[in-house]
Amino acid sequence: MRPGEALRVVLRSGSGRLGIGLLAVLVFVSLLVPFFYPLDFGLRFWNNPIAWADNPKAAPPAWTNLVGDQAPRHRVFDAESPSQTVETGPATTRLYSFTFDHDSETPPTFLSVSVGEVSFYDRPPVISMSLARPDGLTATILQEVVRGQRPDETPPVSRFADEPRRIFLSGDTNALTAATDFLLQEFGLRLSEAEIQGNLEAALFGTPTSSDAPEFEPLTGEYTATIRVITYDSRDAVESVRFVAAGGVFGLMGTDTQGRNLATGLMFGFPVALIIGISTSVAATILGTFFGILSGFSGGRTDTIIQRVSDVMTNIPLLPILIFLIFVLGQKLWLVMTILVIFGWPGLTIILRSMVLQVRSGQLVEATQALGASRWRIMFRHVFFQMAPFIVAQMIFFTPAAILAEAGLSFLGLGDPSLPTWGQILEQGFRTGAIFIGYWWWILPPGILIVITAMTFVLLALAMEPVLNPRLRETAA
Amino acid sequence: MTVQPEIGAAPMLDLQDVAMHFKSRGRGFRTTTVRALDGVSLTLDRGETIAIVGESGCGKTTMGRVSLRLLEPTAGRVLFDNIDITEVKESRLKGFRRRAQGIFQDPFTSLDPYMTIRQIVEEPLVIHGEGSASERLERVEWALEEVRMRPASDFLDRFPHLLSGGQRQRVGIARALTLTPEYILADEPVSMIDASSRAEILALLRELQERHRIGYLYITHDIATARHFAPTATVMYLGRIVEQGPTADLISNPLHPYTQGLLNAVPEPDPANRLAERPVLPGEAPSPANVPSGCRFHPRCPVFMAGLCDVVEPPLVQVELDRTVECHLYGEEGQARAEQDATESVSENA
Repeated sequence: MRPGEALRVVLRSGSGRLGIGLLAVLVFVSLLVPFFYPLDFGLRFWNNPIAWADNPKAAPPAWTNLVGDQAPRHRVFDAESPSQTVETGPATTRLYSFTFDHDSETPPTFLSVSVGEVSFYDRPPVISMSLARPDGLTATILQEVVRGQRPDETPPVSRFADEPRRIFLSGDTNALTAATDFLLQEFGLRLSEAEIQGNLEAALFGTPTSSDAPEFEPLTGEYTATIRVITYDSRDAVESVRFVAAGGVFGLMGTDTQGRNLATGLMFGFPVALIIGISTSVAATILGTFFGILSGFSGGRTDTIIQRVSDVMTNIPLLPILIFLIFVLGQKLWLVMTILVIFGWPGLTIILRSMVLQVRSGQLVEATQALGASRWRIMFRHVFFQMAPFIVAQMIFFTPAAILAEAGLSFLGLGDPSLPTWGQILEQGFRTGAIFIGYWWWILPPGILIVITAMTFVLLALAMEPVLNPRLRETAA
Repeated sequence: MTVQPEIGAAPMLDLQDVAMHFKSRGRGFRTTTVRALDGVSLTLDRGETIAIVGESGCGKTTMGRVSLRLLEPTAGRVLFDNIDITEVKESRLKGFRRRAQGIFQDPFTSLDPYMTIRQIVEEPLVIHGEGSASERLERVEWALEEVRMRPASDFLDRFPHLLSGGQRQRVGIARALTLTPEYILADEPVSMIDASSRAEILALLRELQERHRIGYLYITHDIATARHFAPTATVMYLGRIVEQGPTADLISNPLHPYTQGLLNAVPEPDPANRLAERPVLPGEAPSPANVPSGCRFHPRCPVFMAGLCDVVEPPLVQVELDRTVECHLYGEEGQARAEQDATESVSENA
């Protein structure tokens, strides 16, 4: 049967169309990933908290704004060159202005200012920030001096080259003091630093409603954040400035409690899941088929040895062995896959052997022997094809089993940290208590993806039946 | 000039005192030996047909398998064209495999359901590395035409399950025919085919025999088809040949009590006989794992002679030029016993 014909037969059934469609999506997403992701994505980004520092923590997906309360959008402003430069004597003031429309009833979840790759000669630069509000008031809320030259350093002195200096305003004492001053001056509201700490964003993005308590009415409209960097030498440089007004919602799939963009992690899980499932099942099926047919067809000592080995292998509990070996040899994905293959083939071998025993004494084998066919030809040209539908079904059914086994191990916290998988995302969600807090966007998508991937292969197995079994095909047609 | 061996000088297929014993594990540590064949001799020539008749379990299929060297006999020799193939390695049997083929009982299971008709018929050529792809196709078409599957092109790409039982069996015959063999084992080739197609298949086999001078070993449990198809018949019982002779004579005048019983069991299409009670062989054939002593038929024999049949193995008696029977009734000792009995009964009467 030609491949085109086979595809047509598969597409004739509903389960075939759905299975092929889902598989196409899985494969398409998997193929996209290598183009957009570095190979060390897991270590360099996914499991590196700094990479996600500017994301809101545990934010639901952005599309949840379509229903219910309007959470503020996540805004990130990057600038490499100042929007305005003012020279006063030897000092140069670089102004970076970011204007945005805040239309939500809730303030941003946090505000952060980052300055990267600063170099200076004479005096260290001074960083400050002010926020112009829609009611015409301007709050100066940050004043920081870059750490000065140490005795062992020679100009130009470089700062924040590897990682930008990131200041979270609600965690910065200077910012809190400045905000307290602002509230006292403009509204006559006196608050302690402890009172303002959890309410900094609300204070900056609202108007006080009482004279002695941290209660604010939201103020919507156009805000302008201006970051000033004052340098004292013409050769001084500032390479990047970033201002983040963190939203209450984020991206397509939201974030976890570390601020990681779940969409990127889930997407990276596609090729990993497919590789685990397909390569493990193909390898285990090839081994199982070879030994099963050989065992059943040869009989005698070969048969006994293969069967005893299979018996031993199938009776070793897989999960404890996996956990043990992972503890001994480390959390490696290839290790999990190898163990799944080594412990995966004997089951198929035992079943195939019993099927081969039936076929071996049949007339087909006798007739082919009489033609002068060699043992190998009979085994792998005739006997194999009698078993083929079963073997392919087994292979397709083993695919989700491998994916689920990996997910299970990851869920136990034994996943490979260099490769994020859906199981690991689930595990982190579970460990953080996402289920109890109600972070559904963290638990449901990886779970559903695992189920859909497993279902894809089951649907394919169903649709492959008529292709591999000509008798079924003709009655269906 | 090389000396060609004269065709017919030696029989094409020659089974000499062949025995086939299967060992199987019994209860505990005991092993039981199943004596499927126990000293069988038979010769078959090119263009000749011999029918082997017997109940199931009598060893006729085992004999066919030994004749094709699908089984290595425990004792005795199998000669094909004067070459001993009894203990030759499978890898050195290629020549024999080309010249000897088999047609099997069940056309539903003897054809690979995952191969097209073309692949099935082509397979012997592929195995023996014959010709190019186009030559092989030509040969496949020829073989299909030979078995009257015309036009061959209609069948090439079909799968066996699309064909009727009779058509499948013809595909089986075409497969055996592609290498133009000299010997074909036909192991119950029509027993699983509709009655309407049986005569057709047998006629086809005979036609092919005339055209290609094929020797058939025709294994059957059906004496009626043997009469039409095979001039010579052999009756087997429990691993031994009990009677051999021209089929017509064997049927009109069966000598061995077992042959007589077998023929009596064939229903006659005469309504007048519908109430007639026909003599039936008592009991069932014993298991070949537990062969009776002396004549192996004696527990069921209607003319059993105590003290002789259950003690002494019956001799092979040449009754006529082309008829042999293995029974004490025709042996010297048995004849003497019969005479003695006759005189005794006469004296008793007197």
